[in-house]
Amino acid sequence: MKDHFTMDSPQPRLLDETKQGVIGTPMDRPDGPRKVSGTADYTADHAPDGMAHGVLVRATIARGRITGMDRDTVLGIDGVIDVITDPRMIRNPAQGMAGSAPVQTGDEVHYHGQPIALVVAETFEAARDAAQRLTVHYHAEAAAVSPETTPDTETDDPVTAGDFDSSWSAAEVQIDRAYTTPSQAAAAMEPHAAIADWQGDHVTLRSALQMVRFNKAELADTLGIDPSKVRILAPFVGGGFGSKLGLGPEAAAAAIAAQKLGRPVRVVMTRQTVFDTVLRRSETAQRVRLGATKDGRITAISHDDRVSNIDGEGFAEPVSQASQFLYGADGLSFTQTVARIAATPAGSVRAPGEAVGMLAFEAAIDELADALGMDPLELRLKNLPEKHPIDGRPYSARRLADCLTEGAARFGWADRWQAGTRREGDWLIGIGMASAARSNMLVKSSARVRLTGDQAIVETDMTDIGTGTYAILAQITAEMLGLPAANVTVRLGDSDLPGASGSGGSFGANSAGSAVFLAARKLRAEIAERLGCDAEGLTLQNGQARGDNREAALTELVSEEILAEATIQKGKTAKSHFSSGFGAHFAEVAVNEWTGEIRVRRMLGVMSMGRILNEKTARSQALGGMIWGIGAALTEEMQSDPRDGHIVTRDLANYHVPAHADVPGDMQVVFLEERDDWANPIQTKGIGELGISGAGAAVINAISHATSKRAYDYPVLPDRMVALLEG
Amino acid sequence: MYAFDFEKPTTVAEAVAALADDEAQPLSGGQTLIPTLKQRLAMPSKLVSLTGIAEMQGVCTNDAGQLCIGGATPHAVVAAEAASKYPALSALASNIGDPAVRNRGTIGGSVANNDPAACYPSAVLASGATVVTNNREIAADDYFQGLFSTALEEGEIITEVRFPVPQAANYQKFVQPASRFALVGVFVAKFADGVRVAVTGASNDGVFRWTEAEKALSANFSPDALNGLSVSADGMIGDLHGTPEYRAHLIAVMTKRAVAAAS
Ligand SMILES: Cc1cc2nc3c(=O)[nH]c(=O)nc-3n(C[C@H](O)[C@H](O)[C@H](O)COP(=O)(O)OP(=O)(O)OC[C@H]3O[C@@H](n4cnc5c(N)ncnc54)[C@H](O)[C@@H]3O)c2cc1C
Repeated sequence: MKDHFTMDSPQPRLLDETKQGVIGTPMDRPDGPRKVSGTADYTADHAPDGMAHGVLVRATIARGRITGMDRDTVLGIDGVIDVITDPRMIRNPAQGMAGSAPVQTGDEVHYHGQPIALVVAETFEAARDAAQRLTVHYHAEAAAVSPETTPDTETDDPVTAGDFDSSWSAAEVQIDRAYTTPSQAAAAMEPHAAIADWQGDHVTLRSALQMVRFNKAELADTLGIDPSKVRILAPFVGGGFGSKLGLGPEAAAAAIAAQKLGRPVRVVMTRQTVFDTVLRRSETAQRVRLGATKDGRITAISHDDRVSNIDGEGFAEPVSQASQFLYGADGLSFTQTVARIAATPAGSVRAPGEAVGMLAFEAAIDELADALGMDPLELRLKNLPEKHPIDGRPYSARRLADCLTEGAARFGWADRWQAGTRREGDWLIGIGMASAARSNMLVKSSARVRLTGDQAIVETDMTDIGTGTYAILAQITAEMLGLPAANVTVRLGDSDLPGASGSGGSFGANSAGSAVFLAARKLRAEIAERLGCDAEGLTLQNGQARGDNREAALTELVSEEILAEATIQKGKTAKSHFSSGFGAHFAEVAVNEWTGEIRVRRMLGVMSMGRILNEKTARSQALGGMIWGIGAALTEEMQSDPRDGHIVTRDLANYHVPAHADVPGDMQVVFLEERDDWANPIQTKGIGELGISGAGAAVINAISHATSKRAYDYPVLPDRMVALLEG
Repeated sequence: MYAFDFEKPTTVAEAVAALADDEAQPLSGGQTLIPTLKQRLAMPSKLVSLTGIAEMQGVCTNDAGQLCIGGATPHAVVAAEAASKYPALSALASNIGDPAVRNRGTIGGSVANNDPAACYPSAVLASGATVVTNNREIAADDYFQGLFSTALEEGEIITEVRFPVPQAANYQKFVQPASRFALVGVFVAKFADGVRVAVTGASNDGVFRWTEAEKALSANFSPDALNGLSVSADGMIGDLHGTPEYRAHLIAVMTKRAVAAAS
């Protein structure tokens, strides 16, 4: 039974009719005990018989050609097997959903830190020793490593609606500000790792990857073999945040080495290598212009940006993504420039676009409110457009106004005091808020559900990167088939299983979840037929099937396995309606007037993100996102050597992601009830990234409220804060 | 890490003899040296452990009333043993790194290393302590000679550090949030004959005395005495964690806090 479904029209809310009562509940992760007991098998936990260890050798110039390597000096080291170079090695990880090989450079070097060879040895220590000792000879070339100074830039045609220039020049109140944000790292806990093993002309790759269906195609293309000869396994992934969307250099190198040596090879990146070679988030330079009438109607919106990437990468941080649909205006204009530099390539990192674009945009909205003498909450409420301001599509479901007002009531926004007037000892206190928005997507996904009696198995190559996929797919299946969730086994992260969207862009739960839902719906139809009732009249609960005055246990009805597979893809609703998660973030900060330290004292996120599949894992996602917001506002900054682009903040001591001490105990998340009928048949929207989008801006706006000073260069590190306070 | 030989003598004399070899280096708590070896920034032929030498362990008070700390005494022991005798020093020791660092890392290692962001050098300098080695005694004012450099000769071992105990003292540390080393640390010590102020973490030349503040505080030991005083940003460290201006600014802030806490 294979079902192919295209999302062309709103679907009935079947999950509101089913009776098992497990959907949406804060069920514990079924994989939790394995994770906390150390028995969940992450990639590098495996060590197949005969395995050799590989360590990547990386370039120490920004651009040029490799003219030679003193292989003989390291081949003598005890345990060293080979120094492998190969034209199939890849320069950097594939971009998300690429499905084809990333740039393969042969003996060319395109950035400092680029993998150029793999040393393979009997032990990790010997491989690392040899990799560090290997002398490489280069013919170096001059290269621009800074987006400010590179002569090589590309500017897109602006995205526009109405006439920005005339609306802007006619505006009674204008805000025109420039902002900067630095490069950021995804900083997933598990370093990137791969183990490759060949059986004849088939390769099995275990790797920490987010998108198995695409990664399979990427590896096949990289190696020049047929995808049917590739199997990828990623049952557990220790965080990705975008950095594991695409096949990485460690995986390509492991596969090539294992093939040459005829034995399994494992390559695990060190933390420093992760920083150097895994796609970073681009730094940004942004300019926001807002025009309004004196009574607070926004008439002109422009958000221009400059980001960077290396030659050959199509990705550009979509900085103004949310600015294009949050508020309406008579004229809107958005222009992006990409600076080409010889530096670690850029790609998707947690909420690409919104994570940094909304820092600037929502801070500018706040500044406009100040200039108007208006409450920033009121300004936002007043300017919510009826339709997508650029393309005129209606919103599918948008409770932004409710999020703003509900959040304001819960946070105590009405008690907001005049900026710069509250202090506790040396600490200046302020509160701030921002809207949240993150567009929602449906990506082609397949899944299979098998039912024998009252036991079900779900199979898809979808991944769980710590997000809770194992939990929600069990819940959807249990709800649809009327089973306790414990009766559902979920198998993920194996490319031999039906191909899913993978985890990325917050679309995994919607897409893979919908495929599972559709497969289970097929099984319901089969069960109804066996019971002898309409599918509509069927009730499934605790292993019992009821309908049309008949009742039978699933164990009787389904004595032998039945199986259904379904595929979903987006359709007409994606064109007819615009779907996005929305929310409102609130933050209270304390700023030390002498040291410039900034402490976030409490945060609240109110979000409407469609149906919540699991209240606990959804909350964790939202909280995690808000913490990344703190990171973007206050702590995270990647820096590189201005001479050669070499990243110098290459560990978690120098690249500071918020630690427990940086995060307030009072972090609250509230979900507003919502169903997005136009999004997918389970009425969900993306969750993880919405928590990030706007969260940092609420912190930034709270700082302005506390100090009456506005920061334009983020993160607001203590030295920047003191300079502002003294300025 | 490159390969090396290892010796663990039980007396200072044996250690000095073992260190006579070319390229031999003392190893104390290893909290600095082991990471350095791992990064291949050092390649000693032999490591001579100092942690098995009984005469270099522990905290006691001598006839002159000075607190004498064995060179191989871990920070955690100093934190515990100095608590009643020299509370400011105990507090400093109890806030170095994390428990693992405090239970392994030693005062001799810290003072020998003279990291510009380390805590102990400020206490040694502000207290006017004496660094005792296997063959001489060195006054704090002569001991620290800039970034990672000291008066120690090749093969010379710090066996003890002797601290005169001030009437009042306090150490204020502004921690770099990720490493928890001092971004700026200020140790203020008030003696009968005057006040000494030592600053760590801030200067390109390592720990130094802020003499202007010392003068003002010797006349009037109160935070107000520092009003209007500031340190120039010239020569201050500028790095990922703070600008020179910010460090200079913090010196004044931390000094005031130390005086307020001490008085
Ligand atoms: C995570 C972390 C956080 C830390 N945070 C702080 C902090 O907040 N504040 C702070 O002050 N320090 C901090 N440190 C450094 C710590 O205090 C070290 O222990 C100390 O700097 C070195 O002492 P050690 O005994 O470990 O010396 P080792 O690492 O063994 O040796 C350091 C150097 O001194 C030499 N040496 C050692 N003992 C002697 C001796 N008796 N005579 C002569 N030479 C000797 C060695 O040859 C070597 O060159 C931190 C370290 C880590 C790893």
